[in-house]
Amino acid sequence: MFDPLEATLQIGASGIQAQSKRMRVVTENLANAQTTGKTPGSNPYTRKTISFEDEVDDTTGANVVKVSGIDRSRAPYRTEYNPGHPAADEKGYVKLPNVDMLVELADMREASRSYAANLQVVKQARELINMTIDLLRST
Amino acid sequence: MALGAVQLFGLISRHNQWLAARQATLAGNIANANTPGFKALDVEDFNQTLDTMGLSMATTQSAHMTSGATEAPVGVRQEDPWDVTHSGNSVSLEQELIKAGEVNRAYRLNTSIAKAFHRMLLTATKA
Repeated sequence: MFDPLEATLQIGASGIQAQSKRMRVVTENLANAQTTGKTPGSNPYTRKTISFEDEVDDTTGANVVKVSGIDRSRAPYRTEYNPGHPAADEKGYVKLPNVDMLVELADMREASRSYAANLQVVKQARELINMTIDLLRST
Repeated sequence: MALGAVQLFGLISRHNQWLAARQATLAGNIANANTPGFKALDVEDFNQTLDTMGLSMATTQSAHMTSGATEAPVGVRQEDPWDVTHSGNSVSLEQELIKAGEVNRAYRLNTSIAKAFHRMLLTATKA
């Protein structure tokens, strides 16, 4: 027999972990928002995407979340006319990453909101455990 | 009187088991708040669960063991979602946190009642 509150802590931890990975991917995208290639006509940094899936933990039967994969976005690159750039092709166009700052920032906000919600669950589970332990005290 | 109190302790412990199972379900929902296609879950109502749990096992001899730690088979159903996003996910963080607050309040009430009755029994035994 497993303790549901232990399972709660485990599920909360899985959520926190998944959201931190998402935050990491967003940061990588933001940091590389201007990263171009080095050789003429080469591809720039490609935006990374992260996807989640739910998974049933065998020992506790808990519905944990896990990262199902980090993939590359298939969106087209932006181009800019800049003939002097090392990565410019023969027509003078430079390929820029397909990272949209606005989308990344929105993603970051969502990740931090979900992170906070998971943290709240962990806190509450701890409170419930403490209430049970308190039954032994002060009597 | 004492028997009533003992049954009350059993009831409280079962309700807390149910609340803990509910908290685990809510935690699963919140962890999967961004999982595409995930449908939010909730546990069956406590009065339905109580019928299947049974308060005590029938004993025909004094040597029989009473029901010890009965596994609480708390059923799980899909909850009525507030909204469903485009990805098919029906978890609403606000809804889940409100429910987690309810669980917290009920759990606190139960433990306080148990504490009060325990104090009462102690007063009776010490006097």
